[in-house]
Amino acid sequence: MSTPLYLAPRLESRLESLLDRPDFLHQLTRALGSPLNIVLPDQIAENVQRFQDVYDRHRLSGTVYFAHKANRSSALVRRLADTAAHIDIASIGELQHALGCGFAPERIMATGPKSSEFLWLAARTGVIVNADSTGELEQLAAIVTKHQLPRVRVLLRLCDFESSGVTVMSRRSRFGTPVAEVPRLLDAMETHRDCVELIGLAYHLDTIGLAEKATALDGCLKVMADCSARGLRPRAIDIGGGFGVDYLADGNQWDEYTSELTNAVLGKRPPLTWRGHGYGLRSEQGTLRGALGLYPAHRPVAGPRYLDELLTSQAPSLGRPLATQLLENLYDLHIEPGRALVDQCGIALARVLEVRDTSGGDCFVRLEMNASDVSLEEHGVLMDPVLVPRPGDDDQAASGPVGAYLIGNLCLEADFITRRLVHFPRRPRVGDLLAFVNTAGYFMDFSADHALHQPIARKVAVYRDGAEWRWCLDENYWPNICTGEDS
Amino acid sequence: MRYDSITEVIGDTPLVRISPEIHGLQNVDLYAKLEMLNPFGSVKDRAAWNMVRPLLADDAAGERTVVELSSGNTAKALAVISGMHGLPFKSVTNRMKVPEIKDLLLLLGAEIEELPGQAECLDPTNTEDPLTKIHQMLSADTAAYVHTDQYYNPRNIEAHQSATGPEIIKDLGGAAPDYFIAAVGTAGSSTGSARALRAHDPSVGVIGLVAEKADFIPGIRNIDEVNEVGLFDPATYDTIESVSADEAIDGMLTLVRRCGMLAGPTGGAAYFGAVRHLQAIDAQLTDRKTAVFIVCDRVESYMSYVRKRRPELLRQPARRNSVATLTDAEVEAAPTIDAAAARRWIDEARPLVVDLRGAFAFDALHIPGSINIVDEIFAELIQAGMPFGRSQPVLLACPVGEQSVKYAALLRRMGHTDVRSLSGGIIAWRDAGAALVRD
Repeated sequence: MSTPLYLAPRLESRLESLLDRPDFLHQLTRALGSPLNIVLPDQIAENVQRFQDVYDRHRLSGTVYFAHKANRSSALVRRLADTAAHIDIASIGELQHALGCGFAPERIMATGPKSSEFLWLAARTGVIVNADSTGELEQLAAIVTKHQLPRVRVLLRLCDFESSGVTVMSRRSRFGTPVAEVPRLLDAMETHRDCVELIGLAYHLDTIGLAEKATALDGCLKVMADCSARGLRPRAIDIGGGFGVDYLADGNQWDEYTSELTNAVLGKRPPLTWRGHGYGLRSEQGTLRGALGLYPAHRPVAGPRYLDELLTSQAPSLGRPLATQLLENLYDLHIEPGRALVDQCGIALARVLEVRDTSGGDCFVRLEMNASDVSLEEHGVLMDPVLVPRPGDDDQAASGPVGAYLIGNLCLEADFITRRLVHFPRRPRVGDLLAFVNTAGYFMDFSADHALHQPIARKVAVYRDGAEWRWCLDENYWPNICTGEDS
Repeated sequence: MRYDSITEVIGDTPLVRISPEIHGLQNVDLYAKLEMLNPFGSVKDRAAWNMVRPLLADDAAGERTVVELSSGNTAKALAVISGMHGLPFKSVTNRMKVPEIKDLLLLLGAEIEELPGQAECLDPTNTEDPLTKIHQMLSADTAAYVHTDQYYNPRNIEAHQSATGPEIIKDLGGAAPDYFIAAVGTAGSSTGSARALRAHDPSVGVIGLVAEKADFIPGIRNIDEVNEVGLFDPATYDTIESVSADEAIDGMLTLVRRCGMLAGPTGGAAYFGAVRHLQAIDAQLTDRKTAVFIVCDRVESYMSYVRKRRPELLRQPARRNSVATLTDAEVEAAPTIDAAAARRWIDEARPLVVDLRGAFAFDALHIPGSINIVDEIFAELIQAGMPFGRSQPVLLACPVGEQSVKYAALLRRMGHTDVRSLSGGIIAWRDAGAALVRD
């Protein structure tokens, strides 16, 4: 085999110390089966603080809303309820879950597509509604009137912001009201001011591009001034999420891997993927075409640092840094990180069932999980699993590095955990565990299902108590009892 | 030298020797091909003119918009040439990374479209990349657009094969250089020149320079990106070496400070790459060799690029009365006043209330009767002279009282006797229930 191309995951101290306890992890999978999802609730509290630090640095007030959809865990949401953070929910089920986990309605915001019953429950309990359109605003007002509910606090979600000087193109979003239609939206707001109270404006753009987000925030600032001219007094701008996560420990590994992938697609080296899959790249007469359809797994400027960069950048049309504009206009800043807030908050474990060499020279490692249990591939995140050896197995003669394809437990040709050849420092053995780390944001339970009557992973919460790790089932975690000295 | 059109001035650029005292090579004569002296400022003038000329001759071009995927010199040259022929020009780009070029393009009348960034949540069904979509748009509506297609257009290479290369041979007295070094962007200049040089003497060594992967050097692609260029053929180059942004700036500094050549970072990269490559072989050489590298464009457009990467090169003299010169003790000693006391003071002493926030924020809401002097302008006034006397009572206000206390400290140092900073700023003022107006 040529030089192994590792993509080692970035591990912070909590995850690293957990992986340092193979006996504990094997004990958990023996008792609860494979696959198994593990969440680390104390990490989410630390992550909230890191975003808070950015607010403090810019002297900004406002709130961090956790985008619940990133993970269904109760433990994470309950632990979060015990911090200063608020929560952003996008379904009636998530709303019920948040209420039951300890979030009072003042700390909940409803976003996304909403059914009539979802709107009623939101209005009845008094959560903030992030309204998608004039139609939704009117529907909400009608519910408030009909059921004689108190005035509902709303944010208006906007989209299609106009750029000045340079045309900054943005993928069209299916959510929000185009800025060009804002006058009609504000007319409706004024008409229904007995039922709804405008507390702010919102946007969320699904892009990693700072320029697009800066243009949107600049656009919101201008609409805030329009609101003020009409006598409305919105105080907050909600800039959504999309701050990103840095998944890999070493940028050089990412650079090297992507260069070699390019070479493989051009046929200049043996394939790095099953059946020469190019992750969006293809070769046309020796020239590379297409675009790499992968998450930029090495992202030094992600999470709180990304927020910091956005706030530090100039408002494209108004001038001065965006943080200065927010501060000077006395506006609160709300953010809705999902993935970034559960960074380092979870791992998915799977047992190795079989290690097989094919006559074609490939090595298959079959796992007791399938591709839907850890949807890294679906989200385009390339990151190596960590090998957790079976306890007492250390003395066997270790093999050298090996490249293997990870296949799942479904009777389906396409069930590859990843189509990428994964390099391990030694050959995995039956009974070893593979730990897919940093999977709490979207990769854990977002797509898992019961295809072929295969089990869905159970979920446990773990927490440190001095030198020991303790665990409980996710649904049995409560912040007051599941607590130790997390140092 | 008299010409009928500026486009006739394109080409025939000088070849200038770099003094051995500067490059330190014992056995190599190193020459710079000064492409920055083309009329629109870069090597791209040749390719742009050669690509667009036949399209202009075409009658149908009359109403069409010239389009190119470029964020730099090609866009600049095409914007000028399109403007000369009364055609609109649109530049489509991933990101304008050099703000000066962006402003210049707008000044030249170009339209710029920036493509969207990558999606944060991957949508696996969305497999088409933005560039492919642009190509589809252009091909679908050939009546509206003329696409010069610099990364694939053979006329890009031809511009250099028929002119740049032969000019070098002529200037070297009919001989090709032993080494030719060029940065690889569209691969047009390196491929075209190399073909002409090799046709004259097959033994010419061609060194292609690319940017290090995590780095950005304007006009140079990195080792992966070159594969996306249709004109790029690895066989053109005997070796491909990479240069970092820092090295490019180092090379640029030598050219601008010691050689009198006001080259940009791309030329700097070529100089650095040339000297590094030649140094390694210099000692083994037994007879004299010649080497030529290309100076792509000029330095002036890259001041923000330099400021971002090497701010120390643009050092500013410290100003006497600037907030940066304040000591902690001075800030500590600056008089402050809280919202409640400030309201009473305003009623009693009628101080001048100066709001240091931006005009947009002031316009939305402010303390009644206050005037707006944005902090940046206030800082200038401190240098130029204050518009009020030293005994004038002044209340300074900013969002949270952090800036205003510093300016209060500065004014105090300058002899102002009754300047106070609103502690907690306008936010504390608002939270205390004091009036804010929009008038």
